[in-house]
Amino acid sequence: MIHFTFSPLQIKRFFTNLLITFIILAVITASSFYLLQITSNSACIILQYILGLVLIARYTDGYWYGIFASLISIFCVNFLFTYPYFAFNFTLSGYPITFFCMSFISLITSLTTTNLKKQTKVALEREKLLQEAEKEKLRANLLRAVSHDLRTPLTGIIGSSATYLENKERLSEAAKTDLVTNIFEDSNFLLNMVENLLSVTRISCNNATVSKALESVEEVVSEALLRFKKRVPTATVNVTVPAEVIFLPMDAVLIEQVLINLLENAVFHSKSTRPIECQVIESVKEVSFHIIDYGVGICEEEIDTIFDGTVYNDNNSNSHKGMGIGLSICKTIILAHQGTIIAKNHKEGAEFIFSLPKESD
Amino acid sequence: MKNQKTTILIIEDEKNICEFMSTSLTGHGYKIITAQTAKEGISLVTSQCPDLILLDLGLPDKDGICVIEQVRNWSLIPIIVISARTQEKDKVLALDLGADDYITKPFGIEELLARIRTALRHSNMAGSSSQAKIFKAKGLKINFDKRIVTINDEPVHFTQIEFKIIALLAKHSGKVLTYDFIMKQIWGPYMEEDNRILRVNMANIRRKIGNNPAEPQYIFTEVGIGYRMIEEDDITNGS
Repeated sequence: MIHFTFSPLQIKRFFTNLLITFIILAVITASSFYLLQITSNSACIILQYILGLVLIARYTDGYWYGIFASLISIFCVNFLFTYPYFAFNFTLSGYPITFFCMSFISLITSLTTTNLKKQTKVALEREKLLQEAEKEKLRANLLRAVSHDLRTPLTGIIGSSATYLENKERLSEAAKTDLVTNIFEDSNFLLNMVENLLSVTRISCNNATVSKALESVEEVVSEALLRFKKRVPTATVNVTVPAEVIFLPMDAVLIEQVLINLLENAVFHSKSTRPIECQVIESVKEVSFHIIDYGVGICEEEIDTIFDGTVYNDNNSNSHKGMGIGLSICKTIILAHQGTIIAKNHKEGAEFIFSLPKESD
Repeated sequence: MKNQKTTILIIEDEKNICEFMSTSLTGHGYKIITAQTAKEGISLVTSQCPDLILLDLGLPDKDGICVIEQVRNWSLIPIIVISARTQEKDKVLALDLGADDYITKPFGIEELLARIRTALRHSNMAGSSSQAKIFKAKGLKINFDKRIVTINDEPVHFTQIEFKIIALLAKHSGKVLTYDFIMKQIWGPYMEEDNRILRVNMANIRRKIGNNPAEPQYIFTEVGIGYRMIEEDDITNGS
């Protein structure tokens, strides 16, 4: 018969189902009594019980409750609503047919509803899988773009170290230093890349938001600058922040990443050694950060797509091509802060401006 | 100190990092012992009594935090935590549980050496009662007794609270102090959670001791963690 392994959940389900069955039967029986008082039409009563059976099949799991209910219904109809009242009489003509019909109806409706429930479940699961696949596709695209940028420095590192290990005796000291310097530079580039990618994982996947806390702007700027100078010791940056302390809601780690990316971009793409300006300007509703360089500026046709991560400047053959991804990460971060970021040219070079709103909502 | 080498225990499961640290630290005259797991590390702490522990937070058998808790139960050996950039919460937790300092991966050997020197200096000073009465670093001078701060011999006026903060940082110079620690030291244990008052005070201090608040010279911010005062002059090369 019913095969139960008695886990607490299953026991709970069993009793809920049983309760539903009995409540529906009780309601039907009560209303049948009422109907019999007014109409004294027993056909109506049979129909009511059938309705009850359909409902039970719909709201319980499996078909055993339906069959059980149909049995009870038959006894109820026989005992309560057919002559002789309040007594069983199974010798009435056609009674086996009634019995058979009621069981059959309950069985079929139970089976149908069970089937239906299963199908809905399957459909829901399929939808979930499709969504997952979509996300997976996005991730794969990003991975492809990234691995391209990762492979180049890795090839350099492996090549240089292999050369060193294989030709240790024959290489001059200067050549050795060169090789190790290459390895050092390439691995620093990789590190920068990885930190950028890691920062993206701080942005919540579901609604592209970040967890903000009130941070003092000058502290964030000064730490970003410190980290930047550690990475590019030769660069000079002139910073100006407002005399007043500004507290701004943000994820400090991410905003530092944006500042570092923009500063680095300014150093490596301006082709100029003039100091970079970094200015923080407060207005009524937002705080804007300006990174200004005095170099070659941005190509006019690139200005609109510079944050899309697809910029590969062909005539620019230095090793810092990965900045395309750096800038697109800047945009992702700023958008997650409900801020804006733009790039433009001024008379003597390029300027990147991002603004963050003062109120978090 | 001359004939007995300072022993450093490195608890780190990454073989390459462990090797690079022990090679360069040995080159700088330290005696190195290494452990790959938290369990091994703790047993080495008890058997070898190192002078300092370098602890990676991500260990294969246990969280590095557990090591700090266990060691702090019975010992004040300086512990420097090695962690990744994105784990501010772990860093703060480690510091609040009694770690002396942290260093973020990847780090240069110079930075590591500076941290080790600072931690050792503080642990040596904790034994002796002769706390320096004057702090000197890059033109900044703090006289703790007279409560006078000068920059390039120009006196700077601070409020009561500001002086307390700067003195606290100077006493632990070179070491990062968490917001929580500073708040408790200055305002007592019943101060509310919000550390904004501390940061406003810090902003004022910065304006008094430097020209540009975004380019601090003496007190550095570790965003999300706390503040660090520049290392004291002269002492770094001694003993």
